[in-house]
Amino acid sequence: MKPPPLLLGATLLFWGWQSGLLVAAVAMAVVLESANLVKARWEFSDEDFSRIWTFCSLLFLGSAVYTFTANEGPASFSGFFQNPNPLTQRAAGRASSLTGASLSRWLPIFFFAFMVAQQFSTRRTVPLTTISLILRRRRKQALKLRRPLPPERNVDIGYPYFAMCLLAAAVHPGEDQSFFWGLCALLTWALWAQRSRRFGLAVWATALVAAIALGFLGQRGIGQLQRYLENLNPQWMARFMRQRGGFDPTQSRTALGSVGELKTSGAIVIRLETKNDASPPPYLRSASYRRYGSPVWFAGSSKDDFQIIPESPPESRTWPLLVKTNTASVNIACYLEGRGSNALLGLLPLPRGSGQLENLNAYLVRTNSAGAVLAEGPRLAVFDARYGSGETIDSPPSTEFNSDEDLDVPEREKEALDAIIEELRLRGADRERALQTLGGFFADKFSYSTWQGRPRTRGTNDTPLGRFLLTTRSGHCEYFATATVLLLRRLEIPARYAVGYVVHEGSGRKYVVRQRDAHAWCLVWDERSQTWQDFDTTPGSWVETESKRASPFQWLSDAWSRIGFEIAKIRWGQSRLRQYLLIVIIPGLALLLYQILFRRGRKRRQDREEEPDRTRLWPGLDSEFYLLEKELARRGVPREPSEPISDWLERVSRACGLEDLREPLAGLLRLHYRYRFDPLGLGDADRAALNREARRCLEILASAAETAPVGR
Amino acid sequence: MNPLLRILYLFYRLFSSARYRALRRITPPGRAVVVGALVAAMMGIDPENTVGYQAFTLLFALLVVGTAFSLYFRLHFSAVRQLPRFGTVGQPFSYRVTIQNHTPRNQTGLTLLDNLIDPRPSYQQWRALQLDDEKYTRPFRLSQRRRINPFNLATVKEAAVPPLPAHREVQAEVQLTPLRRGLLQFSAVSLARTDPFGLFRTFAKLPLPQSVLILPKRYWLPPLALPGLLKYQRGGVALASNVGQSDEFVSLREYRRGDPIRHIHWRSWAKAGKPIVKEFEDEFFVRHALVLDTFTDRPYSDEFEEAVSVAASFACTVLTQESLLDLLFVGTEAYCFTAGRGLAHADQMLEILASVRPCADRSFAALETLVVNHASAVSGCICVLLAWDEERREMVRKLKALGLPVLVLVIHGHAPRKPLEPGPLRDEPERLLALDIGRIEEQLATLT
Repeated sequence: MKPPPLLLGATLLFWGWQSGLLVAAVAMAVVLESANLVKARWEFSDEDFSRIWTFCSLLFLGSAVYTFTANEGPASFSGFFQNPNPLTQRAAGRASSLTGASLSRWLPIFFFAFMVAQQFSTRRTVPLTTISLILRRRRKQALKLRRPLPPERNVDIGYPYFAMCLLAAAVHPGEDQSFFWGLCALLTWALWAQRSRRFGLAVWATALVAAIALGFLGQRGIGQLQRYLENLNPQWMARFMRQRGGFDPTQSRTALGSVGELKTSGAIVIRLETKNDASPPPYLRSASYRRYGSPVWFAGSSKDDFQIIPESPPESRTWPLLVKTNTASVNIACYLEGRGSNALLGLLPLPRGSGQLENLNAYLVRTNSAGAVLAEGPRLAVFDARYGSGETIDSPPSTEFNSDEDLDVPEREKEALDAIIEELRLRGADRERALQTLGGFFADKFSYSTWQGRPRTRGTNDTPLGRFLLTTRSGHCEYFATATVLLLRRLEIPARYAVGYVVHEGSGRKYVVRQRDAHAWCLVWDERSQTWQDFDTTPGSWVETESKRASPFQWLSDAWSRIGFEIAKIRWGQSRLRQYLLIVIIPGLALLLYQILFRRGRKRRQDREEEPDRTRLWPGLDSEFYLLEKELARRGVPREPSEPISDWLERVSRACGLEDLREPLAGLLRLHYRYRFDPLGLGDADRAALNREARRCLEILASAAETAPVGR
Repeated sequence: MNPLLRILYLFYRLFSSARYRALRRITPPGRAVVVGALVAAMMGIDPENTVGYQAFTLLFALLVVGTAFSLYFRLHFSAVRQLPRFGTVGQPFSYRVTIQNHTPRNQTGLTLLDNLIDPRPSYQQWRALQLDDEKYTRPFRLSQRRRINPFNLATVKEAAVPPLPAHREVQAEVQLTPLRRGLLQFSAVSLARTDPFGLFRTFAKLPLPQSVLILPKRYWLPPLALPGLLKYQRGGVALASNVGQSDEFVSLREYRRGDPIRHIHWRSWAKAGKPIVKEFEDEFFVRHALVLDTFTDRPYSDEFEEAVSVAASFACTVLTQESLLDLLFVGTEAYCFTAGRGLAHADQMLEILASVRPCADRSFAALETLVVNHASAVSGCICVLLAWDEERREMVRKLKALGLPVLVLVIHGHAPRKPLEPGPLRDEPERLLALDIGRIEEQLATLT
């Protein structure tokens, strides 16, 4: 199939217009379409087409290297290999995509020479073996094994070039509809030649208009969908799309009031490793909350006060949270489960008093006044948290926005809380006594349970927390933490509700934290040290109770989790595997290069060795007649390129006064022809005669030259 | 039964069916539009940097409209296919199909696609092929897998149908290239029209079962001086072939013990009062055995196909000479077919060769017994063998020991080979010829 005249030229112009290379496109279109006017044609052989194809391919490769370099590809890739982290990964990806876009845009230029060669060749097609590596390989194999060659196939590359131009024209941001309408026009032109003659023009045009209308509506629809998705609240999207178990910095929905068994899982969510066999921090806090509205804890004013923590020094993967002395360090590996607008994000579980995060691959780290550290980056975060006693990143209880936010108690809960305070006679008690009494009260009078039964009676002011405090006195950590926070606040002691994990399970020299180790506890303000202290009133038996609920097949899920963790480490650049791969690949590539060079050398040597065989394949090339021909040519009577040897000998004998040699030369020529072309060849006697006669003629020539040199 | 292979077979059937339908339904421009739409869709994933999505929607809309046009097509027509009796593997041939339009409207823009019966193998056949391929595939190598689908029987080109006037008939010429020997069966004739853009075809189908026998490929052979002398054929041509009755009557004589009763001349007996039999002229002529080795554990192997082709080449060439030729091979049982000198013609032998199948359930000894028992009747033996192992060498040794001149042709596969060890043909190594696939004609031409 050949494209109709002028279609390729128009497509080139369209490509030039769309990609901003109009001048080049006009020149190319003129050259290509001049083939319809210029009658001169070139007879390109298969070899010529191969050379042109090689030239185009080299041009493409050279441009690829140039574009890659111009887009800082080598620097970004070497940076990525030396220091694989999300930033360098992003830079390498950017360099690759820019290179790809530029190359796609220039495709019509790279393969223009090949297209022109086809247009100006006598056969107006190109051999398929030029393009197809497989066919070339088959052909070579057939030649090597002396099998019949596969049949030659020629193709017209007009339509592939047409498609290539359209593809190249599409590589630009869609600012208007010009590409769509241009494409419609060019496709209509191309389809006109292929249309079915069964249908009239009206039907064809109607069908085409229907298709264009459908396409137009479709592309408008895609554009609107894209805008709609872009305008969606990224935070809402984050919660909608992925919220698999991490904590939300804005709120924490508790299971207070839920009836039945609390469902927990034994999946490993955090892995810890301490330095020098030090004991791990008992709690890893993810977030804390300030306002309670049953059954949800809200971040309150901390919700919107996230501050970006600068990486210091830049690209050092060190994120200082506080300027303080950190005495301990723990390596934490956790997953970022939420999906942000650009990357994954999640709250980092940190020990109390964390001052600095080191070796953390993240694009962005933010903290809020409730002590939550929100990181944005790849799914797996592995980092060293340096921490120490004393100051924390939490803001003190008196906030500018709302001074009693850390003392706020919902009205509905006050009745039950006051009843407990009365029972414990805590009204007016100081902080130490209150903490001590409350600790003892919950430890003695309460039990840990993940089961909540349905209340038999329910008053109008009855709340889940009230029932817990006054009736059931049994519940899980959220009940204890909420009750403690609110009781302390009722005693005018600032407190916050904290969520995170408890670290208690060792695994070899490391520690693992499971999803069922998720915990809630209370942060209580210490006026003297001006810090927030952890205060956990959940009975200590809860760890044991939770551990009893472990599945007998937990080892299997642990093993699976371990595999997943190791794969995630490789995937997110947290292992040194990439460097090891590079170390393995480089010698492999060197070996391959050596093989190629060595094999090439060996092939050349083989070719040289095979040369005598070739002469055997073409018998008669060693005929002594050629010596004679060379000698006569040297004497000034060379044979014209298209002159038969017999005519030439006639001319020689006439011109140079060698009439005596005419007869012997004619006989010699007959023998030479037989030696050269007779399938049966020459017998030994005739071969010897050819040799002898040729030598004799040479001698005669030599003697004639001594007496009277011949020449023009 | 391997459940994995079952599943793979299911996938094979689904994939081959989808491919067949797609290639018939979608025209080459249609395929280009489908590929273009896929490429544009991939580019369109990034709508901020490319406008590929615009191209995708347009191309996709073309495909939708094209599909809508190809949903319905009915045409009342009848067709007659004029097939030749035989075809030959690899040799394209044309035949005519006469189509009659039974509608009151002129029909234009139609093409004709002939339908062959579904060539896909049964599970057992497919499994045998896969296991065989697996056996010869070298692990971790880009080995030479089978390139030609052995179940693909022929390629039929789409034929353009001239404008078909109302209630009139026209002829279309279809070109067919047989790829495998055996019976090629047609199931139906389909008339196709495309949508206005020429992207999709839709069909009107008419069942029209018919068949043509595809003969094996033949090679040119030089004039051969086959081994062996004229040999007395007791009972003449008739008995030589075990069919019919020869009339080469010479004289009458008295009955001797052992004479066949059918040779008794009853009227002379009545006249003479003692049994008289007819005597026939002694027959002296050259009779050759063409032994075809069918013992291979590889179904659909190229070696076996080439062996059949070589045997067919000999059958055609030898039968043009004044000699008899016995084709000996083992299939479901041991077979011997005789042709030549008016008994049967080359085409009948080719018909037999067109249907020969490899023998997997019997041992080579069956062929050896057949050939050795038959040796006394023939003057020379041409063996077309698939290997040159001890069993085959032993058979040739026995034939040589019986004083029978033997010409052995061993078909060799694609892989490079070592020169064959002549074995029992050490004294006349020129009688052993190894034939490499791809160079068989060239190598057969060296026979003298």
